[in-house]
Amino acid sequence: MWTYVFRRVLAMIPTVFVVITVCYLLLHATPGGPFDSERKVSAVVLANLNAKYHLDLPLWQQYLYYLNSLLHGDLGASFRYEDWSVNELVAKALPVSAAIGGGSILISLVLGVFLGTIAALRQNSVVDYLVMGISNAGTAFPSFVIGPVLILVFAIWLKVAPAGGWDAFSPRYMVLPMSLLTFINVASIGRVMRGSLIEVLHSNFIRTARAKGLPMRVIILRHALKPALLPVVSLTGPLAISSITAAVVTESVFSIPGLGKLILNGAGNRDYTLVLGLVVLVTVITVVFNLLVDLTYALLDPKIRY
Amino acid sequence: MNSRWNMKSTVKAIAAGALLAGASLAMAANVPTGVQLHASQEMVRNNGSEPDTLDPALAEGVPANNIIRELFEGLTATDGTGKVVPGVAESWKQVDPKTWVFKLRNNAKWSNGDGISAADFIYSMRRFVDPKTASEYASTFGIFILNGKEITAGKLPVTELGVKALDAYTLEIKTPFPVGFMPDLVSNLQLGPVHKATVEKFGKEWTKPANIVGNGAFSLKDWQVNSKIVLAKSPSYWDAKNVQLTKMTYLAVEDGNADVKLFESGENDWVYQLPPGTYDKYKAQYPKDIHNAPMLGLRYYSLNNADPVFKDVRVRKALSMVIDRDILSQRVTADGQVAAYGVIVNGVAGADVTTYDWATWPMDKRVAEAKKLLADAGVAPGTKLKFAYNTSEYHKKMAIFAASEWKTKLGIDLEMEAMEFKVLIKKRNDGDYQMARNGWIADYNDATTFLTLVQCDSDQNAQKNCNRKAEALIDEGNQSLDPAKRKTLLTQAAKIIMEDYPMIPLLQYTVPRLVKSYVGGYSATNSMDRYRAKDLYIIKH
Repeated sequence: MWTYVFRRVLAMIPTVFVVITVCYLLLHATPGGPFDSERKVSAVVLANLNAKYHLDLPLWQQYLYYLNSLLHGDLGASFRYEDWSVNELVAKALPVSAAIGGGSILISLVLGVFLGTIAALRQNSVVDYLVMGISNAGTAFPSFVIGPVLILVFAIWLKVAPAGGWDAFSPRYMVLPMSLLTFINVASIGRVMRGSLIEVLHSNFIRTARAKGLPMRVIILRHALKPALLPVVSLTGPLAISSITAAVVTESVFSIPGLGKLILNGAGNRDYTLVLGLVVLVTVITVVFNLLVDLTYALLDPKIRY
Repeated sequence: MNSRWNMKSTVKAIAAGALLAGASLAMAANVPTGVQLHASQEMVRNNGSEPDTLDPALAEGVPANNIIRELFEGLTATDGTGKVVPGVAESWKQVDPKTWVFKLRNNAKWSNGDGISAADFIYSMRRFVDPKTASEYASTFGIFILNGKEITAGKLPVTELGVKALDAYTLEIKTPFPVGFMPDLVSNLQLGPVHKATVEKFGKEWTKPANIVGNGAFSLKDWQVNSKIVLAKSPSYWDAKNVQLTKMTYLAVEDGNADVKLFESGENDWVYQLPPGTYDKYKAQYPKDIHNAPMLGLRYYSLNNADPVFKDVRVRKALSMVIDRDILSQRVTADGQVAAYGVIVNGVAGADVTTYDWATWPMDKRVAEAKKLLADAGVAPGTKLKFAYNTSEYHKKMAIFAASEWKTKLGIDLEMEAMEFKVLIKKRNDGDYQMARNGWIADYNDATTFLTLVQCDSDQNAQKNCNRKAEALIDEGNQSLDPAKRKTLLTQAAKIIMEDYPMIPLLQYTVPRLVKSYVGGYSATNSMDRYRAKDLYIIKH
């Protein structure tokens, strides 16, 4: 298995390289530059700015310059946040996103699997309808609707949580955004878990187990749960990635200084280095999560071996 | 502001300085008699976005300037009502048409205890125009100091900048042409001081909380990117005893609705700006907290004067005539903005507002005249025009109204192209458009900041129109030392340019926002919307 992991990590290098190159070209092909603003800067000032940020060099030279910096672990200076390097910005935003997104995905997994299991075992019962109702609501209502409702109820009416903001990982500020992300993630995980478990429960090997007279609890925990979790694991990868790196709406609604806000501002401001830095980060996170998902498959399904 | 300081008389200078300083002290206290202050003098204010920098020389956006105004103080400053007041300089005088002399107070200090002298301003102004600094504002403010333009272009060394220390506390600024509004201009912190030793020691890192040294009424305590910046009252500030607030927190909330929610839940005392379309609702809901003061800004549509259709002034005039600004401001944007018919807005110094004679005509007459103009220009009903705007509900709403005005009144079809902000800017800058949304907020309180929008060869002129006769009047006005004469000439120039209909002025900006009624020091006359925490206080509640 370790050879497999090593191979996957090695394969990450060309993946990151291709993603950076494509993204680099796309960014520079997009109309407008980092210094285009409502107040047009004079040609002289623009030349000074371009020289300061090496944008006066031919594109291929800028690209090589960037790659060289990247190899030295330097993601460059931000155009939008002039006093900060991209490394510093990522170092500040990543833990925030990881806490909110990662925390919510863990809670969602436990809750989603639990609710999905109950719904599958009590198929077409009131419990099932209730769970599926919640699940459908979580899918149907977008986060920019649920978020403000949570704020209205818990921050403005009940005054039990702040309406937004962030203060050094204080749980007070994390409760509502995590609840929102958890609600949305539970909706997906619960629905997939329910469907998957129902399918597994109709399999021949479960029927055999029941025929052998095994108690339902043992059948579920020992035989049905593992294979039923496979689609959930597949779903968890992308869900976790999007919860951590692309929770733009949640971050905006609750004014959280996470990665989503950086990505949005970076792209809107043509902050080439910031966008590229975040693309590198998201690519690495994606590859790592996909690898973790694949490794988890092996743990859950004895037929899969690396 | 007229200074009583005279270079030839030290006694008079000291007396005048004391007079002005005394006056400023009285203003700085700023708490009306009978107002009881709250025990806790801490305030939270949303700043609309994360500042682009805290380096005064590099600052470009409003959020950055708002915070820099707290951390640093220039030769002058503006108070809560927008009036120019002494800053580090306690008095000043225009000793000849192209020379200003500023007398610095000797009790002004940096936050590390160092004294501030004229040398600090010389270093900072040279740094500001230095091509290596690459300040985006170098071409906006630098041109008002002798050789500033040439230094930014790399044609002269920074030592040639027209700033000189006559003694440790006397700064002389030479200008390439008479600049009557210099005291207002130097309230901008791009022309303010930075602490040389700190900048040179820490380089790019000098603005970080652990390193920064400022001279403002507040100092930087905490900086959480995209979240908040916390400032604390600076004990070393020369006027600290008149500063009421002890802590000021600037939030970086971009979402207007989130901003209001924080206000409603009591976590924010000052909304940056109300989301579009919500003014009436919040006016009814929070009558004590609502504010909506006009500011020095103009919403307008640029017409590409080089476009085959818009080459004809009759077409440009016809389109401008039929837009009912009153309906636009009262029904469409419905946020208290003021109808505009000229490039100069209400409240700006140095020129009067100009208007068109047809602005008071009944709409039927305006439409008839516009139809005639179009027919004479050979533009038939059914002609298609393209309008570019950046994606925003607000701009879309305005554009739909304009399109409907042109369609129903003149039969002109408008093809609306929504695009990302940077794409619009690029198109406008390249002249790759027919009609485009545009807007301008004054950099300083003088008519010339607005005239740059329509002057020949100006970087800010997206229309590429040019009227040499008006240009001559502006030059003549700028050379004049008589403010009244200058005002007449600039007004005349603005009128002549607007008779060419290079653009369609629509509305003068206002700032609709919620400010808790217990925040004292907010004014309806601060048309540059520049506030310092120094002038604010929390009333007992």
